Parts: sequence; structure tokens; C-alpha cells
Amino acid sequence: MSQDGVLLEVKNLHKHFPIREGLLIERKVGEVKAVDGVSFEIAPGETLGLVGESGSGKSTIGYCILQLIKPTSGSVRFEGTELTDLGREELRRMRREMQIVFQDPYSSLDPRMTVGDIVGEPLIVHGIGTKADRKIRIRELLDVVGFNPSFTNRYPHEFSGGQRQRIGIARALALSPKLIVCDEPVSALDVSIQAQILNLLKDLQRDFELTYLFIAHDLAVVRSMSDRIAVMNRGQLVEIGLAEQVYTNPQDDYTKALLSAVPIPDPRAMKERKAARRKLRHALAEGV
Amino acid sequence: MTITDAREALTAEPGASPASGAPIRQSNLWRDAWRRYVRNKAAVVAGTVFVVVLLYCLIAPIASPHDPDAVNFALSSQTPSLEHPFGTDKFGRDLFTRTALGGRVSILIGFGATIAILFIGVVYGAISGFVGGRIDNGLMRFLDALYGLPYLPFAIITLAIIGRTNTWTMMIALSIASWFTTARIVRGQVLTLKENDYVRAAKAVGARWYRILGRHLLPNTLGVLIIAIFLELPGVILGEAFLSFIGLGISPPDPSWGAMAQEGRTVFRSHPTAIIVPSIAIATLVLCANFVADGLRDALDPRTRES
Amino acid sequence: MALLEVNDLRTHFFTREGTVRAVDGVSFAVEKGRTLGIVGESGCGKSVTALSIMGLIPKPPAKIVSGSVVYDGQNLTSLSERKLEDLRGRKIAMIFQDPMTSLNPTLTIGTQITETIRRHYDVPKSQARKKAIELLEEVRIPRASERLDDYPHRFSGGMRQRVMIAIALSCDPKLLIADEPTTALDVTVQASVLDLLDDLRTEHDMAMIIITHDMGVVAEAADDIIVMYAGQVVEHASTLDLFDRPEHPYTEALLGALPQIEGEGIREGRLTAIPGRPPDLIDPPQACRFGPRCPYAGDDSCTQQQPELRELRKGHWVRSAHPASERVGAARREGAPA
Repeated sequence: MSQDGVLLEVKNLHKHFPIREGLLIERKVGEVKAVDGVSFEIAPGETLGLVGESGSGKSTIGYCILQLIKPTSGSVRFEGTELTDLGREELRRMRREMQIVFQDPYSSLDPRMTVGDIVGEPLIVHGIGTKADRKIRIRELLDVVGFNPSFTNRYPHEFSGGQRQRIGIARALALSPKLIVCDEPVSALDVSIQAQILNLLKDLQRDFELTYLFIAHDLAVVRSMSDRIAVMNRGQLVEIGLAEQVYTNPQDDYTKALLSAVPIPDPRAMKERKAARRKLRHALAEGV
Repeated sequence: MTITDAREALTAEPGASPASGAPIRQSNLWRDAWRRYVRNKAAVVAGTVFVVVLLYCLIAPIASPHDPDAVNFALSSQTPSLEHPFGTDKFGRDLFTRTALGGRVSILIGFGATIAILFIGVVYGAISGFVGGRIDNGLMRFLDALYGLPYLPFAIITLAIIGRTNTWTMMIALSIASWFTTARIVRGQVLTLKENDYVRAAKAVGARWYRILGRHLLPNTLGVLIIAIFLELPGVILGEAFLSFIGLGISPPDPSWGAMAQEGRTVFRSHPTAIIVPSIAIATLVLCANFVADGLRDALDPRTRES
Repeated sequence: MALLEVNDLRTHFFTREGTVRAVDGVSFAVEKGRTLGIVGESGCGKSVTALSIMGLIPKPPAKIVSGSVVYDGQNLTSLSERKLEDLRGRKIAMIFQDPMTSLNPTLTIGTQITETIRRHYDVPKSQARKKAIELLEEVRIPRASERLDDYPHRFSGGMRQRVMIAIALSCDPKLLIADEPTTALDVTVQASVLDLLDDLRTEHDMAMIIITHDMGVVAEAADDIIVMYAGQVVEHASTLDLFDRPEHPYTEALLGALPQIEGEGIREGRLTAIPGRPPDLIDPPQACRFGPRCPYAGDDSCTQQQPELRELRKGHWVRSAHPASERVGAARREGAPA
């Protein structure tokens, strides 16, 4: 039963990691609540930005949605279908609809596979097309992401970080998914290359009607990509709303703190902020 | 903006087109490793000697005019000469030919047992590392217990149980209690590799476990396995030599280096050549394997790889 | 006289594939008590510059081929390793990017601080410990005396960076070089570390070189900025002037490529991407190194010779044949950052 207007619905998602201690027999002594009751929706065609600092749980949410990690509890509905209930084969089939782009251009590509093999693997796994068909499709995909298709026989280590990210994006597109989780896709790239990849992601979204869950810690990057933004702090979603709203009129204290800490390339504004912070520090030091 | 525009804006250097987006460093992982290996002089010499010994064992018996089994007491215990480059043993058999033949057996057992070790070790280690969790824990604890087993006595017991001692049974006996380290190495590798994003990517695409294991994890353990071969080989060769020397392995008239050493033992006082020759052969192979393993380890070490 | 003067520094790496000219003619000065920001993307040579100043480049394969680094009147490039060791920590200190790996995990932080102090000063351990506690308090680590005997793993990233700063300050250096000090830290922690560095700098009357790829960090922390590209300085100006009126096409492009936090049409718009990639530093051509990616390049002045670093206006140096204020139609420029 599909719900119009909602592609992905996450309700009360929890992911707890047990802390085990013990010499011979390990016993659970506590748990880390990486994701602590998170709920949100994503509409088809939109980009929801998920922003937070390290340890906020944002990447874990991405993995839970794709069922790469099993959520401890909660519901993840994709086009109405509950993902946490699916059997292995059904989940496998659902995977064609949602893919992921990883942060690290170095560990996200198997160093022993050629570029062509990497991009073609999704097609092989799902038995799509003949070898010749796949070859064509691989070239198409590489072309679309701005990677020169004549280099399908090369290995990832021969290429730069930006080029490798393109390969990763091509792989994510191979099965024509509806949703792509972008997990810090540009964090490891230089500013000028970052801009290239962000532009690429925007173009692809438009041309292929993609929906993005865009996870990042860089507030400016998230702002430039997202329609709506969700702010994570220690496993909890503290604020969610339209991008412009969240940034110009934050409600939550954490969001406010986050925004005030972001360095912006404007020396005068930064000076004012620094002075304000200094005043605050001195006020705190004097004692209330 | 169309896709074509986007593509061009993103990759084209002003003026250029299809050549852009070329790889920034053209290299082949294997070629780089080879170059690094070749820089290690000891490893190169060892590797060459190793190959020479292999060739010797292969070719000498075919090329030699002497019958290795022909007993001729008239020629017994001769010192090296042009006719017999290694001399003759106490039965008058040409040592040059016999050493080569013995080498075939010893090396065959050596490689065979090593491959068996690798096979068992890889299966055990890969399963343990791949499955992880409690099963991994259990398998490793069991392995820890097995570590206490003494390798040679176990080989002897195995041979006794099997009843027959030939090349194949020797391979089995020598591998039974020596695969533990390999298993541990493979498990460690698999555990590390599992954390890579490309494994997650394969999962995200829906690849089944056997594809992840076979296409992503195992091929990336190749480097470690190659090194493991040259690390296990000396132990196995020495094991065979020892067993044959004390009479529990290959027995005469079949040649093997250990068996030949045993035969030479009785005439050691008067004719040391008969025991020295096979001993040197064993030592040479073992030493070379160690140096080659060292060289390979440096050549394939991922830390020294990237710029 | 400036505290530190770097003159035409060239550091090359001699590798089998060729000579990588990582730093190829870099000159700048740092005045007492001021902060210089060195900004650029990966591979531009900023870290190698810092390491060259400290004499910490791996030699082989690297070597300072020419140029001088004059600190307080002394040319560091001609000093022996021993003399450099005496200098490091005592006169010039350096802090690095990754606080996880910069501290020795097997020694308590107390040991690591006192070790540094006793390397340069002949004082008894008790006195060094006292000083260490003072330093930890100065870098705002709560309950300093209790935490002195803790191991690094018990500290968070931001705290470890503070410990690093404490170690750096322990011998009261006059120059602190910070190589990407906040890159590995969360945004909220970043601000407090930068504030700390700023306060310490004023209190100790220290000069600072801060190296980063983040234009926001440098906007906040630096008095003057040099922009590096492909081993060379391409622009050098005061912070305000650099952001108000960037001259070099690369600087403009870099600022244009930054995603904005506020403004109109951010979601729909595209960022100004710089096409192509930085040049290979092995045998770079005798031409403007930014030329192939520059929207204004085209004539001989860009392809035949390397532009010199020239003073376009007071205190503002540019290495370009086509700086913004000299372009056609430049008279009517708005002067606002991109």
C-alpha cells in the first residue's frame, strides 16, 4: 500500500551497539545509542540533508535505512513496504531501488577490480542483460558521471579522488534506483573538486528524478544541496525543516550552536563572532 | 543544462575533450610489486637460486646418463669427479642424479603439503573472519587449543594411522598440524578487509555472501597468501627431511633428501659427501624460501605502496 | 625585521619517476605577534613549506634545493640537525592535523609534556610537572592536575589537540606553526580551539603560521594570507583585502567554489567548479601553472613564461598576468567577495 508523496518513511528508528567486556565470556555491560528514536520522511524527488557532527549517528541512519545494518527497532518504509520485515530475497530485490555513495574514494572501490567491473557488478549481481548489453550500459553510466568511458580497463588506484567518486556514483546509478543515500560524498575532496561533484549530483538528480538523503557534517555543503534539513545530535533528531528556515531561524539550541560555529569566508563577520564568543567566555568566567 | 553540457563542463580542460579524465598515475599493482621485489638483492639472488634448484631437479634426471637405481659396488663412495659431479653413494649410485630425483620428491611433498595447509587454513580462516561474532570467537578459541599440538609427533602418528608412507600420505601428515598460523593470518586479513566500503557497497547492491567472499575478500588476500606459501615451505621441507632421516618418512630405495641423508649417515666418517650433499640441498632451498618470503613481504606491503 | 623570512624556498623530492618540485620559489615573511595563513588545496605545497621551515622534510628523498629560511637572523637551512633540534620546540613549535596520531599512545600526557620541557631546560622533574599542570590549565583542560597522568586515549579529539598545543607552548616559542589544526575536529570544537590559539598568541606574544584548506578558518584566524598553488605563492595580501578584492583567478575560483550558507537561490544554483586538475609537479612547464584551468588565459603571457609575483597595490601581491583589477572592464568592479 503505497503512500503518495512519501518515498521513504522512517519511524522511531533505534540502533544500539552493545558494549561488551569480559575475558573468556563477553558480557554486555552497556550500550551505545547511536540512533535514538529518529523519525522523518522523504518525498520523491527531494533532497533531505542530514547534518551533524561526528558521533551524531547520521551515517548509521543511512546504513539502517539500506538495511546494511539491522536496526534495533523501528520502522523503515520504502514506498509503503516495510523493509525491516523483508526476507532475504525480497530485500535483495528492493535493493535495486536504493543505493549508496560512500565518503572514502579509496576504500569504496575494490582495488583488484577494473573500473568497468566495479560499475558493472550491480548488473551482474541482478542478472541484467548480456555481457554486451552490460558493456554498453557501463559506458553510458561512466559518460553520464563525467568519467571518460575509454578507461574501463584501468584500476581505481590510477585515478584521483574526484574521479574515483565519479566511479562510485556511476555504480550507484547502475540499477536505476529511486533513492540514493549520499554518505559524506565530498568530505574527502578538495574544494574545487567538491564543487564539481556537487554540481554533478544536482544534475543527476534532475535528469534521473532521484531522491537524495544527503549526509554530511559540512553545513555549507548540506545547505547548498538540500530542500529540507534534519539536524542530528548524539543519536537524536533535534530539528527538521526547510533548509532556509533551519539556517536563518533555528529553533533548537544545538542547531544554533552549530550554525554559530561554522567558519564562513567573511573576515568581518568572523571577527564579530570571535568578539561575541570572547565576551561570552569572559561573562562565564566572571561567574553568573 | 543537458547531460552533455554538464559532462563537458565538469571534465573538459578548456579546449580538450576525449583525452581528459585520463588516469593520473599509470601503474600496474603487480608491476610495482615486482619492481620493489627486484630492488632487494638478497631476494633476487634467493629467487634465482630457487629456480635453478627447481630446474636442476626437473632436468638432471632426464639428461643424466646414469641410472639412479643401478647398484654398482665397484663405484661405491667416490668423491666428486667429472663423471659424477657429486660423487657416488655407498651403493655406487650417481649422487648428482639421485639428488635431483630426491629433490623432486622432497619439493613435491613440500609444495603439496603447503598447498594443503593453505587450503585448510584459508577455508577455516575465511569462514571465521567472514562470519564473525560468536562463531569466529569459538573457532579461534578452538584454534588456540590446537596450537598446543606438537607438529612432528602428530605427523608421525598420522602416518602410523594411515599405515602407508608415500608422497601423498607424507603431504597429508605434514599438513595436519601446521595450518594454524595460515588460518589466523587469513582470518585477520578477512576481518580487516570486511571493513572496507567496497564490501558494504557489494552488500548494498545485493551481492550474496559467496560473491562477496569469492570476488572481493579472497582476491585481496592474495598477497598475504603468496607470502604464506614461502613461509610454510621451509617448515614442511625440513619436516619431511627429518621424518625420512629417522626412518619414518620416505624409505629407500625411493630417494628423498632426508632418506639420502639417512643413507649417508652410516658412511659419514669415511665418505661425508653422501650426507653433505642432500643436507646442503635442503639448507639451500629452505634459506632461499625464507629470503624470497622476506622480499615478497616488502614488495607486497600495502603501506609501502601508496605515494 | 620580521621574525621569520622565507626567501625563494625550493624543496624538491627526488623520486624514481622524476623530481617533484613540491615547493618551487616561495617567499614570505611573518612579523612578530602576527598570524599568517597559508591556504591551498592538497598538493599545493603548503605542508611541505612548513616542514621545510622546521627542517622536518624526509631527506632523502626531499631536499631544500635553494632559498633561505631566516629566523631571528639565523638561516635555518644551513644549520646542522643538532642545532635544528635545539630550535624545535624551543623557538619554533609545530602542531599537526591529526591529534589521534600525533600523541604517543603509550605515554601519559604528563610524560609527553615534561619530556619536551626537560629537553630544552635543565629542571628537575617536579618543576617540569608543575609547569605541565599550568600549561594544561592554560589550554583550558579541566581538572588539569588529575588528568596529567592520563593516557591520550582518555581524551577527546578536541582535548588532544589542546594537549598538543600545551606541548607546543611548553618552551615558550616565539613562532607556532599549526598545520591543519582543526581539520580533524568537529565544527563546535574547531571554534574553541581557534579561540584558544588566538588568546594564547596574544598572551605569549607569539607569531603563528596557520596552514589550512578552509577559507573560513583563515578568514577568522589570520591577519595576512598567502594562497598557494602548484608549489608557488599566487597571491599574498591582508585577510580583509584578499576577501574583499581577490585578484588571482585561482583565488576567485576558490572562493566561488565554496558553497554558501546564506543567500538566494542556493539550492537551485550551481557552484563555480574549476575544470581540470592541478599540474604534475614533475617537470612543470615554463608557463603559468594555473593557465590550463584559468578562464582568462589565452595569450602568450600565460603560456610562454611564468608570471612573477608582483605588488599590485600596497601589501597585495599577485602572480598572474590577468589579475582582477587589470582585466578589461575592471574599473567598475563591485569589490564584494564572490
